[in-house]
Amino acid sequence: MTFWGALLQNGTYQAVSGALFKTQRRQFVILASLPLFWIVFANLGPIVEMFWIGFLDSYPPKVGYEPQFTLANWAAFFQDRVFIVPFFRTLAFSVIFTAITLLITYPVAYFLAKHVKRKNQLLFLLLLLIPFWVGEIVRTYAIMILLGNNGAVNLVLKSLGLIDRPIPFMYTGFSLGVGIIYLTALYMLLPLYSALEKIPNNYLEAAADLGAGAWTRFRRVTLPLSREGIASGCTLVFLISTGYYATPVLLGGPRSTVFAETIAGFFHVAGDQWPMGAAFSSIMLITTLAVTGLFLKLMGRGGKGMMR
Amino acid sequence: MTRHTRILMSVIYWAFVIYLFVPLALMVTMGFKDSKFIGFPIRAWTVDWYAAVLQDTQVMSVFGYSMAIAIATTLLSLIIGTWMAAFLGPNKFRGKAILFALACLPAVIPGIISAIALRIFARLIELEPGMLAVILGHTVHNVPFVALVVMARLSTQPKSHIEAARDLGADSIVAFFRVTLPYLKPALVGAGIFCMLLSFDDFVRAFFLGGYQPTLPVLIFAKLRSGMSPEINAISTIVLIMTAILGLWAERSMRRLNKGSPQ
Amino acid sequence: MNGDKDTIVHIDNVTKRFGDIVAVDRLDMKIMAGEFVTFLGPSGCGKSTTLRMLGGFETPDEGRIVLDGVDVTRQPPNRRNVNMVFQDYALFPHMTVGQNVAFGLELKGKSRPEIERRTDELLDFLQLSGFRDRTPDQLSGGQRQRVALARALAPDPKLLLLDEPLGALDAKLRGQVQIELKDIQKRTGKTFFFVTHDQEEALTMSDRIVVMNSGKVEQSGTPEDLYFRPASRFVAEFIGETNLIEGKVRGRDKGAIVIDWNGVDVRGAAHDHQPSEGDHVTASLRLENVICHPKKPASRTAIEGRVVSRLFKGSRTSLDIRIGEQEDAVIRAYMDAGNATQIADDLLWISWEAERLAVLRD
Repeated sequence: MTFWGALLQNGTYQAVSGALFKTQRRQFVILASLPLFWIVFANLGPIVEMFWIGFLDSYPPKVGYEPQFTLANWAAFFQDRVFIVPFFRTLAFSVIFTAITLLITYPVAYFLAKHVKRKNQLLFLLLLLIPFWVGEIVRTYAIMILLGNNGAVNLVLKSLGLIDRPIPFMYTGFSLGVGIIYLTALYMLLPLYSALEKIPNNYLEAAADLGAGAWTRFRRVTLPLSREGIASGCTLVFLISTGYYATPVLLGGPRSTVFAETIAGFFHVAGDQWPMGAAFSSIMLITTLAVTGLFLKLMGRGGKGMMR
Repeated sequence: MTRHTRILMSVIYWAFVIYLFVPLALMVTMGFKDSKFIGFPIRAWTVDWYAAVLQDTQVMSVFGYSMAIAIATTLLSLIIGTWMAAFLGPNKFRGKAILFALACLPAVIPGIISAIALRIFARLIELEPGMLAVILGHTVHNVPFVALVVMARLSTQPKSHIEAARDLGADSIVAFFRVTLPYLKPALVGAGIFCMLLSFDDFVRAFFLGGYQPTLPVLIFAKLRSGMSPEINAISTIVLIMTAILGLWAERSMRRLNKGSPQ
Repeated sequence: MNGDKDTIVHIDNVTKRFGDIVAVDRLDMKIMAGEFVTFLGPSGCGKSTTLRMLGGFETPDEGRIVLDGVDVTRQPPNRRNVNMVFQDYALFPHMTVGQNVAFGLELKGKSRPEIERRTDELLDFLQLSGFRDRTPDQLSGGQRQRVALARALAPDPKLLLLDEPLGALDAKLRGQVQIELKDIQKRTGKTFFFVTHDQEEALTMSDRIVVMNSGKVEQSGTPEDLYFRPASRFVAEFIGETNLIEGKVRGRDKGAIVIDWNGVDVRGAAHDHQPSEGDHVTASLRLENVICHPKKPASRTAIEGRVVSRLFKGSRTSLDIRIGEQEDAVIRAYMDAGNATQIADDLLWISWEAERLAVLRD
């Protein structure tokens, strides 16, 4: 007898299996059990707990002190420029980096989807994928070597005689931008590529046949049809870029402090001020999700307008 | 499209490729520099840094620790993610769209917030910072990716395959193991390797959820904060080669997804 | 409870609903052991739902399904001694032909030597021995169909369900496979429950055809019964091409029913019901049952008509013949192409055996 045959003919197994899958409903409940538990426990639990801690005046609990409910953590955010400035800087940086990433990767994705022969597309795409398998820290380090005072860029500029002293690229918004775009470009490229790849070539030929020039074809056909790719690419890049911590620490400077560093400070540097860190994280989460929600809504409506 | 724009776009593509590869190439090159000072020009070459890294017991133990976390995370993510896909994929029920969105949530929450939330949550369930906490954090992050890949594969499996298995005497469990699981195999291999990469490369969750023992990215980060050194380049290069191999393997098995549809 | 001992399946007053739609409506039917039964009907008629209820993939809302004397209404597919050939064959792509065929035996807990022996036997029986180690994607459509059949026969089921298994084959192959399938059924002596929407398939292979429409049985009988003695307008129109004649029953003449059809008396027969005088009825007359006479025959029942159009179809010609002056009183008939040229001035006489004009119940 084979293993599966023996299992199925085993009386105990038959009884258990028969009881478990007696009705469709019971089978569905069993199938739903782990996913529902996981969603509630692992996906929602931490977020809900984070919100809740934001309302406490002290956490983790100290012996002999009952934490009190307070709004002070939330209020603190609006009272200090030290908090608000990095917050809006993060949002502004992320929007700018997202826009630049879109501008850089759109032609790349278009080239891949429409000009590279179909059988070569995978190879060309793979070439772009390889660097993205490398982790955040290693790639950030690579950018440090590129942009440092003794880095490659300065070396080239100096040997061309364009500069005497190295340009201080590092520890600025610029170096941070180069790093973040380096890290996130793929999340823009892939949705764009798959949206563009789906556009049948005969649409463009039909448009050309009707007398549309290259620019009109792009504006009236390609762009509206790749709208979904743009929307999801921008959403991903925006959300991911606001969440980096190590990269701003390594590439940024005092004048480009981002909110992730502010939040981390409550947990590491400035002693344990968890409730405030929790409240600030919650503010950031709500804001980023609201911004992307609004963006997706605008894209939905604006896109339809473009089609008319 | 005119010839000019075509040429322009190919130039942009290759410029982009250079942008992606040059920093990594520089980093690899610098690992062979015979000087403690990171920067150009390079006057002498050596492989001593690699020898040093391979003899460094701390680096090696951190490497093993990261690997252990990655493997545990991958196994857990595959089980939970596949189960999630089996639940959310084929079944129709009310509230499915909301559940689906909640299931994907950890994949889109900004990294720092996810890490902080998990740090607080670990305290709630009395999980000390350390290996288990990092595994939990990575698994939470990876499950949506597994679920999405498996769901995509599952949607291409004809319903009749499972019915045929049932017809021939299999109950739901045996039908899953004998028919569905083999069908999912390429997706599971691809998703699994992807999980390994995500876990092995992750910094922010490992940083906030880890104990005194660092993972490899956390170790590199700590070393970087105290200054660049060719030793870091050597470690990074080893990591880079490993991830590239894993990535290519994942890509190969995912590609079979498109070809390997049945009949 | 299971009636005569040759009954293998009793579908006992079964109803199945999907939401507001009644897919199968109080279906009551017995299937005899060794029978080749075909359920025929358009898509959505309930034939596939019936098959899936027999297989255990759907549970009836009302009624019972009794298999060989045992009520299996609520038994899952894996607990029933019934196997199925799926429309897309559903061969497991990761297993070889041999592994596919052995799968059911393995799960039944058979010993390895027995699995080997039975697999060999079936592969041999279906002329698949050379393909044992191939995977399904290395087979042609006809070979896959045979593997699916071998796999379903391997566990020695009491009833074999076939869900449109020829739909995926090209027209040429289909004819050949129909003969093979009938032959396999005869040689194994198994009860085949075949579902199709293809009337030709049903006529060729079946011992009995059950025509379904909107969840109900329209008629059940031998292929000849259904073709020449349709009981309802649906059956008459669904199977083959026919003339529908509507009129009032005038009375009887030597056992035949006389119908007034646009002022002309025509003779027919009713098979499963008896209309009374004055009833408004519809009758079916197959094209090939109409006899055409270029010259006026001796028979007093022959009717004079005029050819209004003719279509040359090679060996024979199809004629549209108008009777009397009314525009829509037209009978279509076949005639040998040679004889058709003998018709002078488009004038001819037609007749038929009263038995062949089947008075329908609706």
